[in-house]
Amino acid sequence: MYAPTPPRGILLVLDGLASLGKGLWITFSAMFRKPITVPYPEKRVVLPLRFRGRLVMPLDPEKGDNRCTACMRCVKICPNHSIDIEKARGADGEPVPKPASYRYNLGTCIFCNLCVETCPFFAIVMSDEHELATADPSRLVIDLAAEKYSLGGKKGAWWQKKFRGEEP
Amino acid sequence: MQSTLHRLLYDTGTLVDGWRAAAHAGWGWPSFAVDALFQLGWAVAAALFLALNALFIIWFERKVAARMQLRRGPNRVGPFGLLQTLADTGKLLIKEDIIPSAADRAVFRAAPFVVLAATFLLFVVLPFGRGLVAADLNVGVVYFLAVGGISVVGILAGGWASNNKYSLMGGMRSAAQIVSYEVPAVLAVLSVALLAGSLRMGDIVRAQPSYGYILLQPVGFLLFLVASNAEINRGPFDLPESDSELVSGFVTEYSAMRFAFFFLAEYTNLFLAAAFATTLFLGGWRGPLLPPVAWFLIKSYLVVFVLIWIRWTYPRLRVDHLMELSWKVLLPLALLNLLVTAVLVKVL
Repeated sequence: MYAPTPPRGILLVLDGLASLGKGLWITFSAMFRKPITVPYPEKRVVLPLRFRGRLVMPLDPEKGDNRCTACMRCVKICPNHSIDIEKARGADGEPVPKPASYRYNLGTCIFCNLCVETCPFFAIVMSDEHELATADPSRLVIDLAAEKYSLGGKKGAWWQKKFRGEEP
Repeated sequence: MQSTLHRLLYDTGTLVDGWRAAAHAGWGWPSFAVDALFQLGWAVAAALFLALNALFIIWFERKVAARMQLRRGPNRVGPFGLLQTLADTGKLLIKEDIIPSAADRAVFRAAPFVVLAATFLLFVVLPFGRGLVAADLNVGVVYFLAVGGISVVGILAGGWASNNKYSLMGGMRSAAQIVSYEVPAVLAVLSVALLAGSLRMGDIVRAQPSYGYILLQPVGFLLFLVASNAEINRGPFDLPESDSELVSGFVTEYSAMRFAFFFLAEYTNLFLAAAFATTLFLGGWRGPLLPPVAWFLIKSYLVVFVLIWIRWTYPRLRVDHLMELSWKVLLPLALLNLLVTAVLVKVL
């Protein structure tokens, strides 16, 4: 049974009252701190390196082409079939390890990053592009191979290090 | 002879009484018509103040809450987002007025207006300045407490008429809460009335020493603040509309303008609780240099800030703790406070 002796009871009440004061002080002092929110369209935060915007297939500056071999691993791992690859064929009609088209459906993509992680050749990256709303549904399916995206900046440098094996 | 503006600000009562006497003498109207016109003038002024005050307080609360949570708050509509509430009101006006098919239509329609009318009636006795009061009743304090209790009828009616379990529970909780907390509030006010020796708001203001009754009645002030905070159903006593369990309490089924009226009444009640506390404990409109109205508003909004501060600091009470706080803590304290006050008034 819980039965506080009188002095302890009084102490509990005083402690409770003090804690009320402490709470008030915390909220009051918070009023004089800088807001941590950013007024978005005018000011933007610096996106972290691993930010997941829409998928891109950047050009490898050394190859002058993308790094995709149309191995289909991203197609297989995509949870909702947002990727559709058509293999390129050579002059003899045999398939060659290149994508003829790499259709990425932005409308169904859930930005889970599985395709990027599974790609053995680091051919695809999630970019910083995040203002993706559009009124035109046809703009939601993007041919990444035809797009010839060049990924610059910090993210580009990070990506190049990755496929050169300089960074895990 | 001071300018009319100066007299309007510093000594409204005699100025308006002078106008009224002139109207009685010079206009040749039946005297009841002149009186009715002047009372209508007070009513229009009060209604105007009610609307502007709610617009400001809602913005103020959102801004204070945002700053306490390290956010920025409304900052898009107008300078510092000051026109945000106006935009919201416009939005509510053009929204569809939905009445649930199973609702008790007449009661459902009437409830918000009952609440707002009860709130509006309280302005009658509120002294905004020297003589700046619609009617300084000799039982002003009793009137304030009694009429303030009418709003519970509207809240309960709204909860009942919605035909929704959440609304009904919200309404019931509100009724229980207002009835419970009215008791310590009345006892706290009573000790002030004992000190002042009058129930007239104007007398209580004049009877106070320059520092107000807050120093003579610190316990009474705290009791009144807590009890009135519970009576206006605001956090940490916002059980009637606790979102996490009752969706939105008695306003769950309300939309558009009817919702806006409940909202308007709620924020006006916030101001009225603060204004009443100012009148009883903080010396009302009295203060140096600035016009009485300015002092009254400064003090009232200071109390409003304290109430907002409390709301955004403490978590909500559990419903049985709420009743315990009222009947087991506030009521004995209030009785003790009243007893000590009565004895001291008699002895000293």
